[in-house]
Amino acid sequence: MTLDTLLLEVVLGAPLLAALILVLLRGRGTRFAGWIAGGSAVVTLGAVFGLLPTLYGGGEPAVAFSWIPAVNIQLRLHVDWLTLPFLVTEAAVTLAAVLYSWGYHKADERSGYFYALLLLFAVGMSGTTLADDLFLFYIFWELMLIASCVLILVWGEGARRGAVALKYFIFTHLGSLMVLVGLLVLYNATGSDSLVALRAGGWELAPGLLTTVLTLFFIGFSVKMAIFPVHLWLPDAHTVAPMPVTIMLAAAMLSMGAYGILRFPFSLFTAEQIAPFALPLMLAGLISEVYGALMALAEKDIKRIIAYSSVSQMGYILFGLGTLNRAGIEGATLHVIYHAIVKALLFMVAGIVIRATGRRNIDELGGLGRAMPWVTACAVIGGLGIAGMPPLGIFNSEWMIFSGGFETTHIALSALTLFASLLTVVYALRFLGGIFLGERPAGLTTSPVSKILVATTVALTVLLIIEGLFPAAIFDWAEHELPLLLGGGL
Amino acid sequence: MTGNVWVVLPLAWVGGGAFLLGLIGRLWRRARNPILAALTALIFGGGLLLQLPVFAEVNGALLGNGGLPRWGTAAPGGIVLEATPSALLLSTLALGMGLCAALYSGGYMARDPRYPVYYPLLLLMVAGLQGMLLTTDLFNLYLFCELMSVAAYALVAFRRHTDTAIEAGFKYLILGSVGTLVMLFGIACIYREMGELALPLAAFAHGIWGRVGTASILVGLGLKSGIVPLHTWLPDAYGRAPSSVSALLASVVSKSTLIVLLQVCLGLGMPASDLGLLLILFAFLNMTLGNGLALVQENTKRLLAYSSIAQTGYIMFSLGVGLRYGLPGALQAGMFLLLTHAVMKATAFFSKGVCHFYCDTSTVAELRGTAQQLPLAALTFSLAVAGLAGVPPLAGFVSKWFILAEGVRAADALIYVGMAIFLLNSLLALGYYLPLIVRVFQPLDKEDTAPRFALSPWMAGVLLLLGALIIAIGLSPGPWLAWVG
Repeated sequence: MTLDTLLLEVVLGAPLLAALILVLLRGRGTRFAGWIAGGSAVVTLGAVFGLLPTLYGGGEPAVAFSWIPAVNIQLRLHVDWLTLPFLVTEAAVTLAAVLYSWGYHKADERSGYFYALLLLFAVGMSGTTLADDLFLFYIFWELMLIASCVLILVWGEGARRGAVALKYFIFTHLGSLMVLVGLLVLYNATGSDSLVALRAGGWELAPGLLTTVLTLFFIGFSVKMAIFPVHLWLPDAHTVAPMPVTIMLAAAMLSMGAYGILRFPFSLFTAEQIAPFALPLMLAGLISEVYGALMALAEKDIKRIIAYSSVSQMGYILFGLGTLNRAGIEGATLHVIYHAIVKALLFMVAGIVIRATGRRNIDELGGLGRAMPWVTACAVIGGLGIAGMPPLGIFNSEWMIFSGGFETTHIALSALTLFASLLTVVYALRFLGGIFLGERPAGLTTSPVSKILVATTVALTVLLIIEGLFPAAIFDWAEHELPLLLGGGL
Repeated sequence: MTGNVWVVLPLAWVGGGAFLLGLIGRLWRRARNPILAALTALIFGGGLLLQLPVFAEVNGALLGNGGLPRWGTAAPGGIVLEATPSALLLSTLALGMGLCAALYSGGYMARDPRYPVYYPLLLLMVAGLQGMLLTTDLFNLYLFCELMSVAAYALVAFRRHTDTAIEAGFKYLILGSVGTLVMLFGIACIYREMGELALPLAAFAHGIWGRVGTASILVGLGLKSGIVPLHTWLPDAYGRAPSSVSALLASVVSKSTLIVLLQVCLGLGMPASDLGLLLILFAFLNMTLGNGLALVQENTKRLLAYSSIAQTGYIMFSLGVGLRYGLPGALQAGMFLLLTHAVMKATAFFSKGVCHFYCDTSTVAELRGTAQQLPLAALTFSLAVAGLAGVPPLAGFVSKWFILAEGVRAADALIYVGMAIFLLNSLLALGYYLPLIVRVFQPLDKEDTAPRFALSPWMAGVLLLLGALIIAIGLSPGPWLAWVG
């Protein structure tokens, strides 16, 4: 066993082991639950970075076991440059969410299970990115749904959590089933479920079948990305989920849809085969972007405002993918990373505000700037970040996405996308102004919040600034994935 | 009476055990429920052990070393039993489930004063089933089918102090008897045509009587397997029977009848592709009607019964694809779902029985608070229901994957439509499976007291075993799949 396979096993094994320990401890380990989860999240993130040298050296760490030999199904994990940006994002968001939970989640006898499920959710996501065969991919894909659904069902806020969890499950499972059909067709095309065999080529689909499969993949993965009009599960799920879960949902899980699009349609088919879908993807991205921004302007609940902003931001990513060129796809990948940081940051701020004031309606909030200077500073940076202000990260990725758009023949669409991004500025300013500036409404008092919440938020803000000022490494990662896509023609 | 005696031994052992246990119950008045349950479990366990020697021979026969093990005399009035691979598989499954049901009843039957009658009936039902699977001629098939059915009628109506049980048992009796009568009529028709009843016969290829006979047997056995539109007895029977009995009926009895039906139809010379088409078309009815009606059920066990009808549809679909397009993989996938469904559905019924036993719940709404009062039952129930819904990595998902993967292989317009119906049905099914899980984990209101019950070790053991099995099959389906193959 080499160091790489060991690291690969640690990425999945550490959170799994920690989850197992937490479950076995039952109610007894409550006091250590957060520490155990945090420790495993740190180990995972470390292991992910440990894989970098091999990747830079041109290697692709992999580990494989035979699983169901009778029908040619094996269990193979593998990292390449396409995996890396998503894997890093997922591991970092998990760490942030666990740390935030230390302050947010009130310890009781069920805390162990809470952290265990949070880790399983993370395993589902990292497994999805690592899986190198179809069967395993689908299992992890659904694991992330199940774990998050249970978290919403049991720890959700408000009486409607049962109904919301149900809606979330059924909606995203519908998307998963579409993906499943696509996977099965691919499985049948090569007779093995290994992506290695699929990448090796030597198989083809009848034209009608090809269109069907690609359509199913695009719609199925769009459900996970919450693209209009299949976004309906998102606002409710994000609003009802406890804040750490919301952070993981918004900052990491949504991007898994983008990963799916890159991993299946984009890396298994050629640019000519995908070309008919370029315009629909760009259009869907644009509509989602505008619709999400308008809804964010119309909402009053501060958690829902940020939730709709996710619909809008995922629209940018889909638009970038739809351009089918270097800049657009690279920009979409960068946007996944930057959006994760900014979105986690904004939700953390919202969580602190809700904790401190007990209110979540933006009309009943205001003038908190003086009472919470640190949080306000973080919120301002996060708000400017999502509005695309240089030098904060999202400026970089939006720049790439727009320039990708202008390289295509659809200049008008790209111009519309550019101007629609103004709406983002409006809702970001409304969010900041409504909460932190202006008159303080009568009866609004603040209670002190846990220092850990503020510390995590500040740390993330610092990360956002650093990533914005020194984006070279991340650009480099995104650059490396391009040869893997669209038949290497980029 | 020649041949391999190991073929008949398990059947004789279980059937003989039934009479012995009946005597013990009658003569030894002080035999308490746990003692009888343990004895029943011993008999089932012994049956399982006695079956082991046949496995090696069947494996050998499959590899081409000699024929399948047989026992009996082929003369008129004689009986020949043959251990086909599917018969062996299902009879092992029946014995295993019987073992679980017997152990479970050690706790579950504690409050029924008539337990001395219960255990012999359980054994008789399984013995009848084994006979149906092993026998190679239509006459003995009829006899064993009646033996199994009569025991089943009595078991469904076992809690006779409740009028619903009597009603359900009576309905089952009437419809079941119609089914066996139709079957008897069919057998008579075939006897008129061919002059003998030992399978395989080429009756179908000949005259009108052969066709009428085959059709009648199809209807008779179809009724017993709960194929829509002959399913009307099923929700009442499963819903009103004691949970241990419902588990057995849903997991092995009706599904084995389906396999017997296939064996008989093929034995009567019905072309495999026609039979496959018939199965696929009726499978659509089963899936859609089962899932659709399950959505509106308020009683948990009736809901599970309708889900059973739908799952029968999935199994029929896969077997039908296998028969119609000559895909052994699809047959294997169908048998695999049969196995996993048996484990999951039995777990669901057993867990539900625990809730009924301690908290007297029968509607879905009353399941609320189960997680607080009976954590283990809540866990196994959720596992089973999630598995039935096809949630990975549990057993149900793996079986659905195989079925769909094989369906794609058939590459036929009918099958693409069928797969679409299949997937829509799986989605529809989430509409009732998920609320069950949500309900189980919903806490009771603050003012309601929620005592935590100590689970009887009999029931807890069975639940733990089956729950672990659901996860184990899901995580490593390889050996099970090979076994089914």
